[in-house]
Amino acid sequence: MLSSPRRPVALGAALAAALGIVLGSTLAVPGPAGAASVVKIGVDLPVSGADATNGIPTRNGVMLAVEQANAKPLPGGLKFEMSALDDAVQGVHDPAQGAQNVKTFIADSAVLGMVGPFNSNVAKAEIPLTNDAGLVQISPSNTNTGLTKGDDAKKLRTSHPDVNTYFRVCTTDDRQGAAAATFARKLGLKKAFIIDDNETYGKGLADVFEASFAKQGGAVLGHEHITKGQQDFKALLTKVHSASPDMIFFGGTTASGGGLVRKQMADVGMRDIKYVGGDGISDEEYLKETADMANNSYYTVAAPETSKLASAKAFVSAYHKRFGSNPGPYSANAYSASQIIIAAVLKGVKDNAGKLPTRLEVRQNVAATQNFDSPIGKIGFDRNGDTTAPILSFYAIRNGKAQFINQLNVKD
Amino acid sequence: MDVFLQQLINGLSLGGIYALIALGYTMVYGIIELINFAHGDVYTLGTFFSLAILTLLGVTGIVTGPALIVVVAVTILGAMILCGLTGVIVERLAYRRLRNAPKLAPLITAIGMSFILENLMLYWHGPSPIPFPAVIPNPAVGLGSVTIQAKQIMVIVLAVVLMVVLQVFVYNTKLGKAMRATAQDKDAAQLMGININTTIALTFLIGSALAGAAGFVSGVYYGSTWFLNGFAAGLKAFTAAVLGGIGNLAGAMLGGFLIGLTEAMTTQFISDQWSNVVVFSVLVLVLIFRPTGLLGESLPNKV
Amino acid sequence: MAVATRFGSSLPAPLRTPGARTALVFAVALALPFVGHNGGFTNFLADAGAFVLLALGLNIVVGFAGLLDLGYAAFFAIGSYAFALLASPQVNVHWAIWPQGGIHVPFWVLLFVASGIAAVFGILLGAPTLRLRGDYLAIVTLGFGEIVPQTFLNLSQWTGGPNGIGSLDQPTIGSYKFGFDPLPYYFMVLGLVALTVWLANNLRASRLGRAWMAIREDELAAAHMGINTTTTKLAAFAIGASFSGLAGCALASKLQLVSTEQFQFQVSVFILAMLVLGGMGNIPGVIVGSLVLSALERFILPQATNFLHGLGFASIDLSNSRFLIYGVILVMMMLFRPEGLIPSGQRKAELHAAEDDTTVAGHEQELYTEAIR
Repeated sequence: MLSSPRRPVALGAALAAALGIVLGSTLAVPGPAGAASVVKIGVDLPVSGADATNGIPTRNGVMLAVEQANAKPLPGGLKFEMSALDDAVQGVHDPAQGAQNVKTFIADSAVLGMVGPFNSNVAKAEIPLTNDAGLVQISPSNTNTGLTKGDDAKKLRTSHPDVNTYFRVCTTDDRQGAAAATFARKLGLKKAFIIDDNETYGKGLADVFEASFAKQGGAVLGHEHITKGQQDFKALLTKVHSASPDMIFFGGTTASGGGLVRKQMADVGMRDIKYVGGDGISDEEYLKETADMANNSYYTVAAPETSKLASAKAFVSAYHKRFGSNPGPYSANAYSASQIIIAAVLKGVKDNAGKLPTRLEVRQNVAATQNFDSPIGKIGFDRNGDTTAPILSFYAIRNGKAQFINQLNVKD
Repeated sequence: MDVFLQQLINGLSLGGIYALIALGYTMVYGIIELINFAHGDVYTLGTFFSLAILTLLGVTGIVTGPALIVVVAVTILGAMILCGLTGVIVERLAYRRLRNAPKLAPLITAIGMSFILENLMLYWHGPSPIPFPAVIPNPAVGLGSVTIQAKQIMVIVLAVVLMVVLQVFVYNTKLGKAMRATAQDKDAAQLMGININTTIALTFLIGSALAGAAGFVSGVYYGSTWFLNGFAAGLKAFTAAVLGGIGNLAGAMLGGFLIGLTEAMTTQFISDQWSNVVVFSVLVLVLIFRPTGLLGESLPNKV
Repeated sequence: MAVATRFGSSLPAPLRTPGARTALVFAVALALPFVGHNGGFTNFLADAGAFVLLALGLNIVVGFAGLLDLGYAAFFAIGSYAFALLASPQVNVHWAIWPQGGIHVPFWVLLFVASGIAAVFGILLGAPTLRLRGDYLAIVTLGFGEIVPQTFLNLSQWTGGPNGIGSLDQPTIGSYKFGFDPLPYYFMVLGLVALTVWLANNLRASRLGRAWMAIREDELAAAHMGINTTTTKLAAFAIGASFSGLAGCALASKLQLVSTEQFQFQVSVFILAMLVLGGMGNIPGVIVGSLVLSALERFILPQATNFLHGLGFASIDLSNSRFLIYGVILVMMMLFRPEGLIPSGQRKAELHAAEDDTTVAGHEQELYTEAIR
């Protein structure tokens, strides 16, 4: 009992300390911009953990665009800055974290536009927020159809159903999944078994592939969903094998099982069965993980093959010079998205006779983008916020290397 | 029927890995009544250690001839020793001080140790799955309409052999007798001149070494590893230990095989996405209806 | 009461009663969003407040009744999904009262409904399992915590699967809509925290609360004293789960989304770490532990990372290490200060009883003091 009288004091001190920590840390939080001439571009991408292989090259695309913009003479001491936040929690992109990040951007009046997010389920959490705040966002990579089209998209624009703040420079899963199905049929494949990773992107892509493949006369033998972190696919692949498909379609990413499934196909005697996927398995990681099983894999990427595009050459060399590596699959998309925002801000400055535009003015300028010259071709946005130049590329892995096969403009 | 038999083989090989992990759970629980939550992560660490040893040996693919035996022996023993030591260190750091504390306390430190080990592995090899060399030639043996791979035979045989060795050790050696005595009554055992601390450390050493062996085996079997594998695998192995009757070595193996079969059959006859739900439902149901497991004896609440 | 006054004698006169101190804390809390001048900070406060609710709920189960629940996020998930299904266009019905389609029960009704549903599941899981030994119970709850999110993910025709359920209804008061501003959510969460603190405090001192603590200390003895251990433990499970239903409504309506990623095992451990850090069984301790960990996650680690980057350690990202830090907290606290930073005296005595039998006398004394208070 002797020690008891000290308790409330200790308690008070601890409470005070806790408040102190909380308050102290707020002071360090970035507040409203000091100088009016700094315009920030918010970047919300997963840059830690398993998603970092996608997120970092994509963020580099934004960084390059911002640095190049600042290198040119800008009106009235204007300066662009990248304000980048990470939406990965413990290595996995997290919608809740994405929403927090967007709220941080919204609270910072210097942010006039943002690039991101990378993942479709994160976009679902973010679109209602940017819609409410009138902050324009351009995603480099979201392919989920419901983000821009149909009832699903309407549900996301909760505050201002008529004002769209969400744009994307890549094409959508309905196009990618359908194109992959067309592509598979062209390869002469008739019987598909579909496996997806039960995430927004993977399942969305797989569902579209399933419908489209069947519509084009293919037979869908089954559709299974794997679990995050699953390691053993032998039972699943035995089941698949017993259905004797001539191809497996995988909806998902390398990290979510795309590599392991392909690798373990060897163990159940399916080495020669073709393996078709979306852009989720288009990374270096896939080649590394599947090693000698990489051959016979095919995938689509919702972007043009940059090395084939004249306007892309300059981007690829600038990227290589700045970061010492080749761009990732979505670096050019992020670079183009940032260029569109930067152009929209500069147009606003010009229209306002030197004064910074409002967020809604920037949004207006982005929405009006047509024939914008970028490394991924001429970009414009339709009413939904989708690109008017939807280009898809096909790749095959042969002798352990990805080879560009074909590209397709899938305007609908 | 063919598919059923093929899935039986798949389930048994998957179960073999669970069985090896479950042996460690059951030993530790048997002696100090602690669910060593970090055990699943020691198993993953086993794949990491194996990978490091293989890298040191310069092995990147399939090894043949006499070199194969040397490589496998060196890697397995190395992984077993390193994992065994890890287990001993974990026990010394996180559990020994709490041996007489309320049960909640060491269970919470066990969760803490699990998180610590997972994150150390995250630093070691990063967050993506890591390729693991094939090491063993993998011819498939045809048995009628089903095929068994060399790797699958290896997993099942190794699980059974190690279980038998362990059984012999625990029931026919002096050290084994000390372990059983400690499990029954620590104070009495101490009065009989048994060094409790050494005996418990030995239990952790052996259990964790088995996890190390399981680590090597699973690396070869799947051709990959990942820092978070231990969580799900550990939980399923624990389910296996409970199903077989915790504290019972043969039970742990039986449970492992049953859980592996449950998983494979769920995938075949229901759907892959429900396999975890079914396995964890088995865990909940066994604990509710037969907490002593299939081969376990009833454990009265200690007064 | 006399005791409390003596304790407080070193404080300024107006703060000498617990009531006054509580009032002061809440006054400061009300003022906090206006100190930060920053939406991000208010947003943090609202989320941190919801986690305080979760921690207070888990504290009933783990701290008061001594039942280790490793699947607490499952109840949080059930509460959140109950809210989401009943306050969104998700369910495919078109009833005349809700022309926009779906079910749109008013938020304030759902607060009770969702926490009630979570409580029912607490009872459903608890009824068959609560007679299990403590560590088995921990594993059953852990298994349950794995089953629930996976089931929500798999039942995609009802739950939206990996997309989760979006476009959730936001709370309204009369014609005032909460919208996307974190401020009203913060005040609502603060109100809920006040309510749960009040409830937890009264429960602790009630007959039920003393029964919980008796079970926590020695279940057999408690049973022999005539306590119905099953119903008492069930009550803890149900009440603890219902708190998570409140937090689920608050967070889901604020975020406009529920998806299974929000309810993984890590969340259960995160909340458990709050209790272990602050002090299991002690309400102010739990609140402080919860706030410290939330701040650690949101501000301290990112700031420290920036600081390290400034010093040239560009490759270090402490935000990525937070689960390592939680692990270290769990181990270190249980080894060196199992009663937490701000312990309840009684819990401290229990946890140290094994080391030093003489404290048991003090502990009994304290029980006695508490009984006569």
